[in-house]
Amino acid sequence: MGGLRRFVTNVLAVAYRETTVLRHDKAFIGVVAAQPIMMLLLFGGALSNEPANVPWAVLDQSHSAISRRLVEEIGATGYFLSPKRVASYQDGRDLLERGGAVVLVVIPNEFQRDAFRGRPQIQVLLDGAEPLTAARIGGIVTQVARNFDPDVRGAAAQRADRAAVASGGAVVTTRPRFWFNPTLRDRDFFLAALAGMLLTNLCFSASSLGLVGERESGTYEATLALPISPLEIVLGKLVPYVVICYGVLTIAVFGAGIVFCVWPNGSWLAIGALTLPFVFASLSVGVLVSALASSTTQAVFLTNFVILPSFVLSGMMFPYQLMPNGIREIGAILPLRWYQIGLRRLVLRGGDFGDVWVPFVALCVLFAVLLTLVRWRMKPRLG
Amino acid sequence: MNGRRLRTLLVREVRATLRDPFTVITLVAVPLVALLAFSSVLATNVTHMRLGVYDASHSTVSRRLLADLAACDAFDPIPYATRASIEAALVAGQISTALVLPPDLGEALARRTGAAPPEVQILYDGAETVLAGNADAFLRSIVAASGARLAARDLGTRSRAGAGVGGIEVVTQALFNPQLSGTPFMVAGTFGFVLSFLTVLITAVSIVNERLQGTFDQLELTPATNLEILLGKLLPMGAVFTLDVLLMVVVAGLVLGVWPAGSVLFFLLVATFYVAFSLSLGLIFSATSATAAEAVQKTVLFSIPLVQLSGFAFPIRNMPIALQWLCELIPATHFIRVTRAIYLRGAGPLELWSELLFLGVFGVALMALALRTLERRA
Repeated sequence: MGGLRRFVTNVLAVAYRETTVLRHDKAFIGVVAAQPIMMLLLFGGALSNEPANVPWAVLDQSHSAISRRLVEEIGATGYFLSPKRVASYQDGRDLLERGGAVVLVVIPNEFQRDAFRGRPQIQVLLDGAEPLTAARIGGIVTQVARNFDPDVRGAAAQRADRAAVASGGAVVTTRPRFWFNPTLRDRDFFLAALAGMLLTNLCFSASSLGLVGERESGTYEATLALPISPLEIVLGKLVPYVVICYGVLTIAVFGAGIVFCVWPNGSWLAIGALTLPFVFASLSVGVLVSALASSTTQAVFLTNFVILPSFVLSGMMFPYQLMPNGIREIGAILPLRWYQIGLRRLVLRGGDFGDVWVPFVALCVLFAVLLTLVRWRMKPRLG
Repeated sequence: MNGRRLRTLLVREVRATLRDPFTVITLVAVPLVALLAFSSVLATNVTHMRLGVYDASHSTVSRRLLADLAACDAFDPIPYATRASIEAALVAGQISTALVLPPDLGEALARRTGAAPPEVQILYDGAETVLAGNADAFLRSIVAASGARLAARDLGTRSRAGAGVGGIEVVTQALFNPQLSGTPFMVAGTFGFVLSFLTVLITAVSIVNERLQGTFDQLELTPATNLEILLGKLLPMGAVFTLDVLLMVVVAGLVLGVWPAGSVLFFLLVATFYVAFSLSLGLIFSATSATAAEAVQKTVLFSIPLVQLSGFAFPIRNMPIALQWLCELIPATHFIRVTRAIYLRGAGPLELWSELLFLGVFGVALMALALRTLERRA
């Protein structure tokens, strides 16, 4: 029992010292305060995968009322700018090549005649240079065209007809429902896991900076001379960051709520509980990285090049479910992978602790493994 | 400008760079890791996605529909016994897409004069926006095609909808990238990422370190002029990063099978110019920082939004209009656009003149500014 008490006292003593140092580091405080705001605005207001303002071109060889109506209906989906008319197939291809349009809709000469016979056809050329937008836009145009009623009757009659048929051309109607995020807003997707990004940034850089800086300025050796074990030093140095992390988490949650109205639907308590093993695991990654570096510059370098791939591979930005097999497994050793799964379940799907026990256990296991590695790496080494 | 003095400075810089193993490893490892990590993450289609199925109809029709779904490798159907269990699985995140077949699917499909066609419900986990968006188009087209086939087979006639009001047949063709694969898109973007981020960072750190160690002051005591010192610093680095670009082109081609569709030479030319531009930016960062760590922090703070706003991952046209203007002012935006045009569309200087003009003007202005910072400091 006495051993445990000494352990806790030692850790707290180092923590107190670290807090005092941090309080005087103005640059650090600035970064901690500025980053959440910057990321909040970026991911809340700017970044999105939903197609918008898409430039497109139409080659209308049919020059008929039906073809004009088809063009109008495609435009009416709201994803597009007003269409550019091109005079020839070659012009259209050139436009695509220059990047002046993402999609070229070719309505052939015999479009009207075929429409009366019942098998009209159009050609859609997509700019494969933008695969994600092209895939979505291709789907949208196809859907409009499939639902399009080429019959030359009054618009009102068509609308009534379409309501009855729901999706012409198909005999089975599909009715999609997007749960938890009915309009499929990317904003909700990103904001839900915003805290994951911020805390990764903070944890990776903070611990590596603090530890390497200390080793560089020689104070680490001085601390080693104290009757404290290296593990106690490391833990003590990390405790203040845990507190800061919860502060940042609060900023992220309230910021997303107040500015963008994305409040957590699920249990707040579970969010807090899930954050603890994540913060510890991420801090351990930072410590490990710092052990590889011999100067502050190198440490910052290394952490920054760990941060960006971990954003990408964790599924934070792109769905990890769609990544190829080897890559998906690599992502699973990142703490951020499990944290973002858990956060999105809690914030968007409104889950409670029972829904996130898998990510929670995964994070705890990761932390245990990392801690073992840290203990092994942090044996007192002087010089 | 004196040729011999410059040569001496160049030799010194190359030696100093190569002596530090950390820098050398960074220069090789970071571009390659970035290339491999980024190239595979953007997927436009779905493969083997878990699809929860609640089949209330238990008819031959529903079984055939499910067999059709299982046949294409986009979805792996997982049967659920009740509607409640499928909803619970969706909330728990075990599945992100679910298909609910109504009890009267078989009869409704057979009843060709019925008032409404049978309705199949598809539930998505909207929390996974990209996934749901990708899956939606796929699933709908499979269900529609399968339904039409079944109706035609069962009735021996054309479907009721197809007879009178049928939609338009769409022939889709993706130019430049027929499979709409995300790999070439991300590979091309990675050049922009590495050259905007790594180059600026390494340059800034190298100059600050030199200043801190006092070697810069020593250089200024030599007869070398400011311009010579600047060039002696930047030329070897430029050469190193141009080699980096070459390395990435080769690795992307051999490992990932992505070669530029346009002229490799033209691409290298543009990339070299952009390297020079990034070097100037690094120089400016270094001039305004007191320590190496500060220079790094500054670069990172500046570079992360820069990378996000450059269209590297998210299309610029999806942003609010004011931000779009801001994005247009970021040189990385134009460089990434040019890279993608060359890599995917095989564009040449004629198609890209406006982007190249912007890069040129901006680059020259920044280099002039970098030179002035150096003069002021001297």
